[in-house]
Amino acid sequence: MKDNSYYLNIFGMDIPTLDTIVATALRNGGDYCDLYFENTVYFNLMLKDGAVTSGGCHTDYGVGIRVLKGEKTGYAYSETTALADILAAAKAASAIALGASSSLAYCSTPDVRHDLYPDVEDWRQADARAILTFLQTLEKEVSSKDSRIVKVIARASDSESDVMMYNSMHEARFDSRPMGSVTVSAVFQDGDKSETRTASRSFRKGFEMLDTQLIEELANEVVKGIDARFEARRPKGGRMSVVMGAGASGILLHEAMGHAFEADFNRKGQSIFADKMGRRICPEGIDIVDDGTVAYNRGSGNYDDEGVPAQKTYMVRDGILTSYLHDRVSAAWYGVPSTGNGRRESFRYNPIPRMRATYMESGKADPGAIVASVKKGIYVDEFSNGQVKIGEGDFTFFVKSGYLIENGHLTMPVKDVNIIGNGPEALADIRAVGNDMKIDNGTWTCGKEQSVPVTCGIPTVLVGSLIVGGE
Amino acid sequence: MARFCIERALELGASAIRVSLNKNVTDSATVFNGQLDKVTHSSDRSIFLYLFVDGKYGTFSTNRLERADLDAFLIKAIDTTRLLESDPCRSLPQKARTVQDAVTGFEAGLFDKAYFEEDVDSRIAKALRLSKYEKLMASPSKDWSLISEECEWSDSVDDTILLDSQGLEARHTETSAGCFCEMNVSDKEGNKYSGYWWDSSWSADKVDLEECAEKALKKVLKQFSPKRSRGGKYKMVVDTSVASRLLTPVINALNASSVQQKMSFLEDSLGKKLFPANLTIMDMGREAGKLGARLYDSEGVAVRNAPIIENGVVKQYFTNTYLAAKTGFEPTVEDVSRPCVKAFVQTGESSGNIELQDILKLCGSGVYVTGFNGGNSNPVTGDFSFGVEGFRFKNGKITHPVKEMLITGNLIELWNNLIAAGSDARACTRWQIPSLAFSDVCFSA
Repeated sequence: MKDNSYYLNIFGMDIPTLDTIVATALRNGGDYCDLYFENTVYFNLMLKDGAVTSGGCHTDYGVGIRVLKGEKTGYAYSETTALADILAAAKAASAIALGASSSLAYCSTPDVRHDLYPDVEDWRQADARAILTFLQTLEKEVSSKDSRIVKVIARASDSESDVMMYNSMHEARFDSRPMGSVTVSAVFQDGDKSETRTASRSFRKGFEMLDTQLIEELANEVVKGIDARFEARRPKGGRMSVVMGAGASGILLHEAMGHAFEADFNRKGQSIFADKMGRRICPEGIDIVDDGTVAYNRGSGNYDDEGVPAQKTYMVRDGILTSYLHDRVSAAWYGVPSTGNGRRESFRYNPIPRMRATYMESGKADPGAIVASVKKGIYVDEFSNGQVKIGEGDFTFFVKSGYLIENGHLTMPVKDVNIIGNGPEALADIRAVGNDMKIDNGTWTCGKEQSVPVTCGIPTVLVGSLIVGGE
Repeated sequence: MARFCIERALELGASAIRVSLNKNVTDSATVFNGQLDKVTHSSDRSIFLYLFVDGKYGTFSTNRLERADLDAFLIKAIDTTRLLESDPCRSLPQKARTVQDAVTGFEAGLFDKAYFEEDVDSRIAKALRLSKYEKLMASPSKDWSLISEECEWSDSVDDTILLDSQGLEARHTETSAGCFCEMNVSDKEGNKYSGYWWDSSWSADKVDLEECAEKALKKVLKQFSPKRSRGGKYKMVVDTSVASRLLTPVINALNASSVQQKMSFLEDSLGKKLFPANLTIMDMGREAGKLGARLYDSEGVAVRNAPIIENGVVKQYFTNTYLAAKTGFEPTVEDVSRPCVKAFVQTGESSGNIELQDILKLCGSGVYVTGFNGGNSNPVTGDFSFGVEGFRFKNGKITHPVKEMLITGNLIELWNNLIAAGSDARACTRWQIPSLAFSDVCFSA
C-alpha cells in the first residue's frame, strides 16, 4: 500500500489546504462537506479481424466537492487542482445551504484499513506488447475450439485510479484501485444460421491476471452451449416455474430486488420495500447480501466513495428485511451507520447508494434435485437486458439461453424470450435454494444515473411461477 | 491547443492526426416534494487525439490540458500507437467529403445566446416552478395519495472543435435546456404507481415548464387498476414517446460495423425492398434549428439529408472511412443524425396531420403501448421479445390499463406489418419517430 504522502503529492495538496477548501464549501452553513480527488488512467486494446489494430489510453483527473445541508446536496467539480479552481467549485457547491433550515447529524466513521487487492502489478507499469500478445493468443485459442467460428473480437481494458478523500470531520482516506477486464465475443455460422456468444472476466487485479488460465477459461466459456444455442427455439409462452442457474442469473436479484433495497429510493418512499423493514419478504432460510469485501472483486473497494470502509451487508436475513443499502445521507436520515454503499462513477458525480457484489447465499438443496422437482418450467442459464420499476416492483428479463424443463428433465434449448414478474412476489414465491452459490465475475456495470462496476451471484433457485413470453 | 497537437504529432512521426476539443458546462436544480434538494454545476473539457502512425491507428484522450502535460501525453500516445498492428484501411476521410460550412459553430441553429443569462437563482426558480407539490397536498384526492414528486431543471452548453492535419476546421456549438417531473402515487389499496413527463429544447424559452407536473400525474393516474389480458395476436399502436425502441435495432443493423462483423439481420439488404412500400425514413441532419441537427459527423464528414429506407427499400449503411475501405461500401456518415419517419396510413399517404386518435380509430381495437419494460432483440436474426405496458383499446377508445404483457416476433416481419405512422413526433426529440401502428403482433400475457 502506498504512503499517504503519495496521494497528497499527486494532487498537490496538504491537510491545511484541504481544510481551507472545506471551510469555503461550508461558508453558507452546510452540515457536511467532502472532497473526492481522482487521477485515473485507462488503457485498452482491441483485436478484430485477426489483428490488434485499435487501442488507446485516456486520462481523467479532478476533484469533486459536495456540500450537504440536511438531506440536500450541492455538488460541483474542478478538472484541475489549482486552488483557485477548486475554491470556485467549493463556492458553487456551497449554494445549496443558502436559506436552508433543516439539518442532519453526519457522523464520523471509524477507519478500518482493508487490503482487498494486495500484491497486484500496477497496470501503468505493464508492457503493452504483452497485452497485445495475450489478445492474439486468446483469439487463436478461441478460434481453435469450434470450426463454425467466423469472427472473434477480443478486448482488454484496464485502469488504475488513485483516490484521495477528505471531509469536514477531518477524515482522510486514500486508495489505489486497479481494474482489469477482458471480453471475447465469437460469431458462429452453421449453414445460414448465425449465433454469437460472449464471455468476460473483470477483477480488481493488476497485469498478473492476464495468464494462460484466464485464456483457457474464456475460450471454454465462449463456446460452451453453442450446439444448444443453434437448436434453441422460442417455447410456448405462459405461466410456469422458473429455475435460475447459479451465477449470472444473479443479475435478476440485482435488478429486481437489489435496487429496491437502496436507501435513497426508500427514504423517498418510492421503493416497493419502503414500509417493509423488519418484515418477512421471502421464505425462512434465505439470506441476501451486498458485499464490498470480496477480495479482487470488481464491485469491491477498500473504501466506498465517501471514505467509509468496506462492509458486508445483509439486506435479508432468514427471509426478514434487515437493512437498506446506505450512503452517508440516507444513514444520517435513518439514524444508522452507513453500510459503505456511497459510490460514484468518477469525481464528476456525487455519491449515491449503489450495490457492490450482490448475491443470495447458498441454501441446502441439491441443484439437480431442484430441476427434478419441476414438472413444467424453464431453466435459465443467462439473462440480459433486465428492467425494473422500483415503485411497483415489476420486472422483465430477457433470457439469452436456457432450457425447457419437462417432468424434471432439461429438454428443448430455448432463447430470445422474456420473463416477466414482480420482485416482492417472486421473492415470496421462492420454493428452493441450491447449495451452489456462485458469483459471476463478468464485466457487470450498473447504470443507475451513473455507471459503477458491480458483480452479482446466486445459487440455483426455483421460483414457483412467473410469466414466460413465447410463441 | 489543437493546432499545437497537430504540429507536434507530425513532428513526432505521425502521418496524420485528427483532434477534437470538447467543452461542456451543465447545471441542474432538483426539487423534491416542493423543496430544493440538489444543485449541481459541472464543467468538462477534454481533448481527443486520433492518431495515424506508420500505418497504425490509436485513439487517446485526456483532460490534463497544460502544455507540458499534453506534450508528454502526445509522446506516449504515439509510442503506444506504434505498438499496435498495422491496418491499411485506416485513414482520414477524403478532404472533399469533409464539411466546409461549419465555421462559427452556430450554423446548426441550436445555440441560444440567452443561455448565458441563466444563473443559479434562475435555475432554482425554474425547478420550483415545475413543482405542483404544495397545490396537490393542499387538496388531497380521495382516490389516491402522492408519495413523492421530483422535478428537475437542467441546461447545458456544448462546444466542439474538430481539426485535422488535412486542414479541416469545424465547430459545433449547442445549448440545451430541459425539465423533468416524476410522480409516485399510491391508490386506496396502497398499490404504487409511477410516471414521468419531460420537455427539452435548445432554448430555455421553448421548454414547457407549466404542464410538466400535470402531465406526469395524468400519466400515473391512468395506470390505476391494470388488468391482465389474454395473450394472442392484436393490432399494436406504439406511442410516439417510446416508438424509437422499435427503430433502434433497425438503425443498429444498418451500421456498416454490424454488417461487417456479421452481427446484422440486414446483411445484404442494401438496395433491396425489405420493408413495406409505405415506409420511408429520412435522415434529416441538415434541418437547422431542429434537435439532432448537425453539419458533420465525428470524422468531420459533411452530413446531408438522405433516405435511410425509401418506399421500403434500404438505401444506406452508415459507413465511416475505415469501414468503407474494409467493406467496399460507399462511405456515408458514421451514424444517424436525425431519423424522421414519414407519416402514412395504409390507404396511402396522408396530406393532413395524423394524430394518435386517428391511428387508434383506424385500428379499431388492440393494445396501445406506452412503455417498454426490458427485453431484447437478437442482432443477427432480428427476433425480439419486449416487455410492454399500456392500455387495451376498443372501437378506437382506450378501455383499461394492462400489465405483465410481452410482445415477441421478428423485426422485419413486424415492420412489414406497419399499417400507419403518425405525424405526432414531439419536437423535443432528436429521433422523429411518431406513433406507429402494426397488425398481427404476438402478445403473451
